[in-house]
Amino acid sequence: MAQVGLNHFLIVSALLFSFGLFAVVTRKNAVMVLMGIELILNASNINFIAFSKFGNFAIDGQVIALFVIVLAAAEAAIALAIVLNIYKVFSNVNVDEIDNLKE
Amino acid sequence: MNIYDIIFYLFAGITIISGFLVVSVKNIVHAAFYLLFTLFGIAGLYVLLGADFIAIVQIMVYVGGILILILFGVMLTNKIVDVEIKSESFQVIPAIIFIGILMGGLVFLMVTTNWENNELIIPLTTTKILGNIILTDYILIFELLGILLLIALIGAATIARKDKV
Amino acid sequence: MELVNIFEGLTYLKPEITLGIGLLLIVLLDLFINKNKNVLHFISLAIILITGYFVLEQSDVSKAFLPISTQTDRNFGMLTLDAFGIYFKILVLLGSILLVFFSITSAEVKSVNNRLGEYYALILGMLLGMMLMISASDLIMVYLSIELVSLSSYVLAGFTKLRSRSSEAALKYLLYGGTASGIMLFGISLLFGITGNTNLYEIHKVLISAQVNSLTFSTAIVMIFTGMAYKISAAPFHFWTPDVYEGAPISITAYLSVASKAAGFALLIRFVKTVFVMFSEQNGDWNLIPIFDWQTFIIVISILTMTLGNFTALWQNNLKRLLAYSSIAHAGYLLLGLTVLSDKGILAILIYFTFYLIMNLGAFYIVMLIADKTGTEDITKLKGLGHSSPFLGTALTIFLISLVGLPPTAGFIGKFYIFVSLLDSKMILVAVIALLNTVVSLYYYIKVLKYIYLVKGDKIETIPINYSNYIVIITLLIPTILFGIYFTPIVNLANKCVLLLNNL
Repeated sequence: MAQVGLNHFLIVSALLFSFGLFAVVTRKNAVMVLMGIELILNASNINFIAFSKFGNFAIDGQVIALFVIVLAAAEAAIALAIVLNIYKVFSNVNVDEIDNLKE
Repeated sequence: MNIYDIIFYLFAGITIISGFLVVSVKNIVHAAFYLLFTLFGIAGLYVLLGADFIAIVQIMVYVGGILILILFGVMLTNKIVDVEIKSESFQVIPAIIFIGILMGGLVFLMVTTNWENNELIIPLTTTKILGNIILTDYILIFELLGILLLIALIGAATIARKDKV
Repeated sequence: MELVNIFEGLTYLKPEITLGIGLLLIVLLDLFINKNKNVLHFISLAIILITGYFVLEQSDVSKAFLPISTQTDRNFGMLTLDAFGIYFKILVLLGSILLVFFSITSAEVKSVNNRLGEYYALILGMLLGMMLMISASDLIMVYLSIELVSLSSYVLAGFTKLRSRSSEAALKYLLYGGTASGIMLFGISLLFGITGNTNLYEIHKVLISAQVNSLTFSTAIVMIFTGMAYKISAAPFHFWTPDVYEGAPISITAYLSVASKAAGFALLIRFVKTVFVMFSEQNGDWNLIPIFDWQTFIIVISILTMTLGNFTALWQNNLKRLLAYSSIAHAGYLLLGLTVLSDKGILAILIYFTFYLIMNLGAFYIVMLIADKTGTEDITKLKGLGHSSPFLGTALTIFLISLVGLPPTAGFIGKFYIFVSLLDSKMILVAVIALLNTVVSLYYYIKVLKYIYLVKGDKIETIPINYSNYIVIITLLIPTILFGIYFTPIVNLANKCVLLLNNL
């Protein structure tokens, strides 16, 4: 195995991104889809920080990652509120069953 | 193989394996707990990348905040008394093929691209630099995030609270 | 960056600061006003008007291109202030002013009157996000402003939370939106890795001077485009549109269909123009950095968007859903303006969007009046409208004719400019496909007209309208007809803004 460098971190992030997308595409439960979105955001953050270190792009990548974490928290708060409300109205959170809006 | 590499493989392993388990296990509570390990592993990777402050924030906000929220979500939206804490999936086979291709493509891109590789010497502690840069170059974004959090607060409250009818 | 520069920059941020303060004001006032919440309509209107005043004030700033905080050598700043952005900001503000009038009338908003403060706080937050989106010139700013708009609109889509379809709209919007913006963020991170920067101008510089891996670069661009395509509801990221448009309160639907689309288009145009255009020729054609084939890419997307939008609309019986698909189709036409990659195309987009805003809001306003009375947006409720409420029937007819793009309405002029710009760049085939699409769209708009005039209702229901409704409809109706005949002022204005876009 080669010396751990940029590529190693990027592969981790590529895998996490794919896992996240997989959860989004296949999972029925809205909370699971949200976890998938969190994985995607985290994959991006690994990229930002890794590029920031290995590409000699100053510390900007870390700042961006910090902003993304804050944003993820805000999004999670809203998302959970919406999911709870859905549960109140429909008594389940499965995306395929919540499908009244159709032609 | 030096100590840095070993630690990297340890954390990368934790991250990837638990990340995979998050999306593959049936039980949604288990998935949430595997997410905990993923987020923890990612924090470890941040430390290896010299981002000590971000690593702490990751643990505090993600593990301490977002994950708890998600767990609340799981608990409140599933009847715990029933054993029905499973989350089914659909369109699995096409999705596996599609995501597999995507994953292969991404890994290929990550490996073959000629990234700029000239390592930045990151100081031992980044907190001071981060603080400086956030309140100068990124001040506008910092303020924007303030508004964004306020909006999130108002939005979450208005959706989740009970209406006085 | 010195502290002094931050203070200098503040003078250019007056509209945004106004909105921020206004938002806080609304939140605070909401606590004290218990009885008559309706005052909040007018306070919000005042805040939007003041913001509009400050935006107009900026339009005669000669240094319109000053990016805030030019001082540091590596940072062009987060925002760019230019006439192009101001044009779109005015459009968004016009949409917001009309939204207030929508909200005053809307029965759905009245039903949640006790939460009116939160409603307007979220709308002002969304407006702030759109203003920043329009002038953002840094990808992080782009991402965060998109998220600010999204977070507010998720909640607004589900604002009448006890109605199941509204909650469902919020959930779908959230899941699609979160995924799209996550993918966009990943794309931004890749672009950051390639160029070492998130600022559009800096990325442009890097692309000109250095060789980058084109495959990775294209992946990053497609991912970033996902986020923007989602905002303008371009195919194949349009799935959320019909459901969200149908489920959301109708005032919010109307707002989403014009304002957040305007912001999305402004963002897309600025992104392409700033990052990829090396220089513009004398006749306005752009010379792009040959690393990503924007032309083919956008042609495919736009044809797909309008065809899907128009053909699916044929089967719709819910007016809101029909207008949703129609708005997808219109996004396709608007994208055509970008395919020609020239100033003429951008001019056509600006003109088309101005007219689209007016006629689309007009159509939604009348649908809202009908839905408030009858309780549903089903197309059969239009039966005999032409006889029972001739004024509403005629007005809706004019708006729909304008949406099709028939003369002598404003919609015709908008389409005309798009087609001329296509023919100018010798894209005959694309123009023919767009024309065929228009013919298809004729069918479903005519279907609505058929219900208004030809199908007799069992019992004729009159839709009650008061004076303020008349005034709103007439103010939307006059430009729809007037600009169909006399459109020089809009064209001149748009022309001036496009020319200014070139000066950097």
